[in-house]
Parts: sequence; C-alpha cells; structure tokens
Amino acid sequence: MAPAQKKTLGKVLVIGGCGFLGHHIVDLLLESYKGKFSVLDLRCTRNRRPDSDGVQYFDGDITSLSSILPIFEKIKPDIVIHTASPAAVGESSQSKTKLRNAMFKKVNVDGTACVIEACQKVNVKALVYTSSASVISDTESDLVNADERWPVVTAQNQKEYYSTTKAVAEGLVLDANRSPAAPSLLTCAIRPAAIFGEGDVQLIPGTLSAYTTNKTGFQLGDNNNLFDFTYVRNIAYAHLLAAYALIATSESPEPIPQEDKVDGEAFIITNDQPVYFWDFARAVWKAAGNQKGTEHVWTIGKDVGLLLATVVEWGTWLIGKDTPFKRRVVRFSCMTRYYDCSKAKRRLGYKPIVSLQEGIQRAVGFWLEEQKREGDKKGQ
Amino acid sequence: MGLLGQLLYFSVHPNQLRSILQWKIWHDPVHIRNPQKESATLQECFKYLDLTSRSFSAVIQELNPELLVPIALFYLILRGLDTIEDDMTIPLETKEPLLRDFHNIIEKDGWTFNGNGPAEKDRELLVHFDVVITELKLIKPAYKAIIADITEKMGNGMADYANNAEFNADGVNTVKDYELYCHYVAGLVGEGLTRLFVESKLANPALLSRPELTESMGQFLQKTNIIRDVKEDFDDKRRFYPKEIWSKHVTNFEDLFDPKNLDAALNCSSEMVLNALRHADECLFYMAGIKDQSVFNFVAIPQSMAIATLELVFRNPAVFKKNVKITKGDACQLMLESSTNLRTVCEVFRRYARRIHKKNTPKDPNYLEISIACAKIEQFIESIYPTQDPKQLALAQTGDIDPEKEKKKAEDAEAKKDIFFLLLAVIGTLLVISALMIGAAYLAGARFDVAIDEIKKGKIFPSFDKGSEAAQAVVNQQDHGEL
Repeated sequence: MAPAQKKTLGKVLVIGGCGFLGHHIVDLLLESYKGKFSVLDLRCTRNRRPDSDGVQYFDGDITSLSSILPIFEKIKPDIVIHTASPAAVGESSQSKTKLRNAMFKKVNVDGTACVIEACQKVNVKALVYTSSASVISDTESDLVNADERWPVVTAQNQKEYYSTTKAVAEGLVLDANRSPAAPSLLTCAIRPAAIFGEGDVQLIPGTLSAYTTNKTGFQLGDNNNLFDFTYVRNIAYAHLLAAYALIATSESPEPIPQEDKVDGEAFIITNDQPVYFWDFARAVWKAAGNQKGTEHVWTIGKDVGLLLATVVEWGTWLIGKDTPFKRRVVRFSCMTRYYDCSKAKRRLGYKPIVSLQEGIQRAVGFWLEEQKREGDKKGQ
Repeated sequence: MGLLGQLLYFSVHPNQLRSILQWKIWHDPVHIRNPQKESATLQECFKYLDLTSRSFSAVIQELNPELLVPIALFYLILRGLDTIEDDMTIPLETKEPLLRDFHNIIEKDGWTFNGNGPAEKDRELLVHFDVVITELKLIKPAYKAIIADITEKMGNGMADYANNAEFNADGVNTVKDYELYCHYVAGLVGEGLTRLFVESKLANPALLSRPELTESMGQFLQKTNIIRDVKEDFDDKRRFYPKEIWSKHVTNFEDLFDPKNLDAALNCSSEMVLNALRHADECLFYMAGIKDQSVFNFVAIPQSMAIATLELVFRNPAVFKKNVKITKGDACQLMLESSTNLRTVCEVFRRYARRIHKKNTPKDPNYLEISIACAKIEQFIESIYPTQDPKQLALAQTGDIDPEKEKKKAEDAEAKKDIFFLLLAVIGTLLVISALMIGAAYLAGARFDVAIDEIKKGKIFPSFDKGSEAAQAVVNQQDHGEL
C-alpha cells in the first residue's frame, strides 16, 4: 500500500490536521513520506499524534491573518494542505441555519482567503485545497458519471449554502495558482465525493442510526440510483499525490504539457466503485451486525416519499419539532450521483488504496468501538 | 413439453410467443449462404456444422461471405479436437499424440478417425473429417495459418490437461488455474476469431493490441457455461469450480448439491457469478471494435445470451438440481436485440445487470462486491453512451442560449410553417374539387338560379308539402303505375 521507499515532501503544514480528514492525512504522511510535518487547527486537542512522531501542533484561527501568519512564518512550509471546514450538517431552525451559514462563509471563504494570503507571504510552493464534489451538484439534479468538465453550480442555482461557500473558496484557491501576487505558488483542489471513515460524524453515524433505531425496513426510491462514497484514506492519499505533483511541477525545468497539468486544476476523488444507494447503507448495516436480507423491506416510491415527507415536515413544524424524514433526504436517497475520477487517475496517478468493502469494515468497526467506549463510560 | 403444454405455457406467457414469432418472421439475415454455388464437400461441411452445433450453426451461416467458410471450418476443426479430448473411451496413449499433432493432421489429405466410442455424439464428424481438410486447403493462406496456429495451441493445452492427473481427479484448484483452463478452451478461440476478423478487415486492428479484451470475451462465455452446467458436469464426474472459491462455502465439493447446504451453495454460485461479471465491461468494449454487422451479430448474440444466463443462474437453487436454460422466447428476444447495434446490446447488459442487482441480498458474503460489479457495467455503458452533456448543463445554468434548444425552436417554427402550407394545400384542393363538382352539376343542368332564389327567400331546406295538387296527382299516378 505505502510506497516501498518513502518519498520526501519537505515541510508540510496540514490545516485542520486534527479534524476528520486532516488527521488521516497526517497519519498517511507519517506512514508514507519523509519530511517535517506540522498541524494548524482551531484547537489541537483531539486526534493528536503522540509526541514521539514529531508532529508540531499549533492553535490558530484561519479566519484571522494575524492569528496564522506568525505560525506560517515560524514553520515556513513548502506545502500547505488546507482541509479545515465545518461539517456540512443542516440545522433544524431558521435562526440556527442563519448562524451556521454565516460560519460556512466565514471559515470556508474568508478563512481560505486568509490561508492563500499567508501562503503568498511566506513563499509556500504548493497549496492543496480540500474542496467537495458537491460543488457540481445542486442537490436535486442527477449527476451521471460526472467529471471535471461538469460546470460548478452557480450560487443562485445552488440549494446547499455549504456547497456554494466551498465552490467560492475553490475558485479563490485556483485563481491563486501562479498569480501575480506570488507566481511561485502552485495550487490545486481535491473534490472528494461523500467521504466516510473512522471518526466521521456524518455518513456512517447517519446511516447507522437507521439500523440502531430499527428502520432498515424502508427503502425510498427504486434503488437503481448509483452513488459514490469515498473512504477517507483514499482522499488523504489523493491530497498527498497532488502535493507531490505540485512540488514536482515547481521543480520541473520544462513546462508540464497541458494534458498532464496539476496546478490550477480541480480533481474529483472517489473510491472508483459506485454502488446502488441503498446497497451501501445495507452493507454498512451488515458490517454493524445486521443479519437481515431484504425480504422485510418496504419500497416507497420517490413521489410518495416526497408527499409523505412534506406532510411530516409540516406536521412536525406545527408541533415545533424536527424530523430526520425531510424532502431533502428523500431527494438525496433517490438521486443518482456518481463520478468519473479518470482525470485524477491519469494526472495524479491516483488509484484507491482501500476498497469500499474494507473502508466500510474499518469505519463501522471504529464506530462500534466508540459506542462500546461510550457505553462503558455511562456504565461507570 | 407436449403441444398442449406449449399452448398452455404461451397462453400465460404471450411475450415469449411474440418474441419467437418476431424472430421467425422479421429476422433478416445480413448474408444468406448459397448452397447452390458450393462444392459437394463444402455442403457436407455445413451438414456437420448443423449436426455438431445447433446454436452456433445459424449465426455462422449468416456471416459475411469473406469469413463464412473459414469460421465454419475453424469451428469444425476445434469441434473435432474437442471430440477426441472429451471421449473417455480413447486411451491416453492414443489421445495425447492426436491432440498435440492435430495442427498437422488438418493438412493430411483424406485423414479420418473412427476411434471414437459409439456413444460419442459427434463421432460422425471425425469419421468424415476428410471433407473439412479438403475445404481447408481452399481458403486464403492467411486464414489457414491463423486456424492452424490456434489448433496447435489448443491441442497442446488439451493434452496437458488430459495428462494432468491431479486436474482429472480433483478438478481446478485456484482461480488462476480456472482462468487458465478457460483460456485454453475459450480464450484461444477468441484469439483466433479476433485475428480472423482483423485479417479480413471486418474489425478494428486495435483489438490485437488489447488482447485482454479478446480474452474477456472467451472467459465470460466459458465461465457462464461452467456456472450453469455445474450439476451436469458433476454427474459426469467433472468439476470446474475452483476449489479456492467453493472451499469458502462448503467442505466438500459434493456438499453443494445437498439441499441442506442450499444457502452455502447459493453463496458459492454467486461468487462464481461475481467472478464472471467482472469481464462484462471488457466484452462491451471489445464489441465496439467490430465493423461488420454480420460479425457483430456473431459475437454479440452469445454475449447477450451469457449475461442473461448469468442472471438466470444467479441465486437460483435449481442450478444444483438440473441444467437450467433461458427460455426460447427470451433467446429469440436476445437474438433480435443483439443483431442491431452496440447501443442495444448495452441496454441488454444494463437490464440484466440491474436484475442481478435486484436479486442480490445482504445475506450474501459478496453482497457489496456484486453490487459494485453491476454498477461497474452501468458506469462503463455510461462512459460510451453518456446521458449527460456537460456543455449543455453549463449553458442551462448560466441561462445562456442553448444551441440545442435554439435548434429545437427553429425546428418547431419550421414545423409550424409546414402545417400552414399543408392546410393551404388541403383547402386549395377542396376548392378546386368543389368548383369542378359545381361546374359539372351546372353542365348537367342544375338550376342554381332557382336554388339561390329559394335561399334568398330564407328557405334553406326544401319543403315538399308545398307542391301543387296537380303535381301531387301526377306523382301519385306514377307511383301507382310503378308499383
């Protein structure tokens, strides 16, 4: 899995390196590459490597240049991998949604602008930004074998504000590639599709909540819709390949041919194993111990599902509660959304290093352990 | 099934009957062989082709004339080889040299063989094998060289297997061995055919530089047959499921056939299906390289049958009890669809991939892998026939003018114009005809002046009660007279 001989990457700073994706990137860096690795995060308390690994941790707020610039000046990184972003979970009430959106804007857009500025000021060579494959999805229309030629959804067509902020930030990063402000800074963006893995707070816990609350007996839609789910390690791997390629570009005496170019480009990253939407959920439930087949499953068509969800949404709104059964969820589980990651394969040499099956096994195994730990805590 | 049984069956499955009739009535062969122009020996070759293969004979005989005879002979030679290899009554000392030397034998004028046991169903072919040899001499040397080369490789492969005591006692061990076996019995045939197609310029030469595509074509067919025939082979004391796979599910191979192990047996068979399904995308890719319609039909029909068979055997308990087969109606439907174009064949593959996906159950240890394999087929089809166009999506987003939509608008305007002219023509015609009729009536003495006067008086409808009494009397008189 890891290269036989560790490649050298120099000084690497992982922003958000204590977060879900970020700490997997740090793990993979230590496993597969030589260099000096640092982490910048809002609070470096969780997901820390043991001191013996030599990773330096810095607390800093990317939305303030004055907070991060001293750290950048101290480290003088060659490579910055910017993964910091709030989790894209929706909120129940309007006022909370407003707050949440303000935070998306502040961290994703303003924060990324600060990071770019800091990179330009300390002569960073390569900036790899964690975007999202959702920048080309309006959350309603199907995406069928989509690749990087698909247009980024414009703000007025985007129904998910989170994705709008990711798209704007991605634009800022790509515009900073060889920009007049700092021509030596090369940038690229990684667009992961539906990330999951150990420590994820969205996909795996969300899918498993249907299992723990005994709701595996429903299926929304005909389950012919294909979907991409990507194991976190593979995404981490793609980031490092991209960082390596940017450094190689900046050191290359000859210009890189247009069709092999990495800098200024975005790359969709998937497990290269799309599956039928509900099959993924069932595989996750199975990994958590579900013994059932599909004999007990009730299939609810998309239209009926939307109608029911409307009724439920209004009903719960009337009594002032929130429901997980929303129209958004119905649309999501009936939608086709899978990608073609050939560009990353061709230009980055990307190939998933962990299969979907193995990824599910690891992620659910971790979740089960965590549940057990929490159970033990409660038992004490 | 008796006639009555068939009648009953078709009355509840009218679609099956419809497909059969459609195939019989509407199937239009691309080429039809002309026996009148053939030599006596060639006609005899086709007789043996009919005898030895019912399913392949028909498609071979519709092939492009350039390849018709070479492929028919290629088939007969391999069938001859197979008939020697298969016959357990032939001692190994006789069998092995025959197999290894078969590529030379096909050059020997008048060679025949009557050493097959009386029970061997294809023994007649070898008894009269001289006709094949005579005809082989007449085909283009390039084709002959390809046929001889494959015959040599396959003969040696078969001899190796005949010699391999372990293989004969225990069957196939690893998945690698299994695929090697499939290579010898099917992959090589594919290689020969691809070379013949390219040599005759009926296929894209690029196929030769992607041998894995050809290999997948053979593997897909052979693996499907092996999965389907497991019971028949077991009864004949042969086993081709690799131990590496079945040992994950049962302790002894024969346990697969014990009804109490049904779940394990189904899981085993579905792992075999998964292994075969992984060739499907490469098969579709291969077919994209065929340029000639008759050759396309020749390669596509067996492939469509194979994916349908995989769907039929997938999680089907009957596989361990008897030999299952796709129905004749389905076969006709598949033949109809496969003798059109790649797009339709892709639709067939997608349809059956989705059916397999629908039958897939989380209880299967390979649940997710099977789902991924089915999805991979869909994704591959999407990559050659995309349903979304990024350029259009971009235009739709920015609200810019979409050339496609503009084109459609223009077409609509054109259509409106057409309708206007059509109406004009209809009205014009009506006017002309009316003028002609009125004119004819006038010439015949119609009194329009009277009619117009009457209308002027407000009498639109003629009234008969107003006739004069005298006139009435005349009418009455006439009436009486006539009656």
